[in-house]
Amino acid sequence: MVVHFVIAMVLFSFICDVLGYFTHNIRLFEVAFWNMFVAAIAIFVAIIFGQFEAGLAQVYPAVESTLNFHTVMGWSLGAIVAIITAWRFAIRDRNPLKVPPAYLGAATFLICLVFLQVYLGSKLFWVYGLHVEPVVEAMKHGVSP
Amino acid sequence: MNSPLIDSLGLRLGANGLPYEIPIHPNLVHLTLGLFIIAIFFDIAGSIFPIERPIFKFLGLPAIRAGFFDVGWYNLLGASIITFFTVGFGFFELLLANPPINQKSDWGLTASWTMLLHGLGGVVLLGMIVAMTVWRGLQRYHWRKNDSRQVQWGYLLVGLAMLGILYVHGTLGGQLGSEFGVHVTAAKLLQAGAK
Repeated sequence: MVVHFVIAMVLFSFICDVLGYFTHNIRLFEVAFWNMFVAAIAIFVAIIFGQFEAGLAQVYPAVESTLNFHTVMGWSLGAIVAIITAWRFAIRDRNPLKVPPAYLGAATFLICLVFLQVYLGSKLFWVYGLHVEPVVEAMKHGVSP
Repeated sequence: MNSPLIDSLGLRLGANGLPYEIPIHPNLVHLTLGLFIIAIFFDIAGSIFPIERPIFKFLGLPAIRAGFFDVGWYNLLGASIITFFTVGFGFFELLLANPPINQKSDWGLTASWTMLLHGLGGVVLLGMIVAMTVWRGLQRYHWRKNDSRQVQWGYLLVGLAMLGILYVHGTLGGQLGSEFGVHVTAAKLLQAGAK
């Protein structure tokens, strides 16, 4: 549930900054800042729930590498989003009417990492079926996909 | 849809019943929900701004009331645009769904009822989100253009009610994946193996 806010807010913050940069609509910079701010809070809640649910998951050998990758990426993204938000805050503090291209570059990199993380998380549920009832049931009866 | 009908589409479907590895609709849902919910919360934050102003001061976080309403408006506009894609992909993936027919969800519904309600709900919600955006736009650019509080209390109430509807609707959709295993590769492989 909480990941909705991380994914949506990071993406939308980036879109608003890029649109604001090219259209000179300075309102969008304020929208970008607050969206990133929400993402920074949400990501730590998301990591905690993620850890909790990963702990409860019936993990079979084929899933392990994806789950580990998703976990490492999650914690790394927590740190990166915190740093980016701090940077965005400093930019807004200094001059709320401008966003430097260097920040947009870093945010582009962040977006790529978020997409990768979404892919990994989706794979755990939609391909490997973690927490999916028919799969959990089958594993109880000793069948592994 | 039944499987001969799906087969006659001539799509190259994977084990999950889709022409691609991971369903697209559930990922777009993040954007619809995130943008809509935050839009409502920021409009609420803008509306009760005089009460919370000391908190932002205490945190050393400069906040402008108009900025909160900007977040409310642009996030809602974003939600409106992206939701056309969310519902579009939702219908495509719903048509390709082939869930087990002898099962009931936690809410006592069959897969067919869950799919029907989630599909109809999607169209209704798209209409409601767009209508809210029009309503919000009228308040922002006409009716309350010069007011310090840009949104009506009635709008916020409807917004909160929408969160409840979205919760029910989202849970129905979640059940399609997590209980019926629709488009879940592992569940489909198990199903095929059991046959």
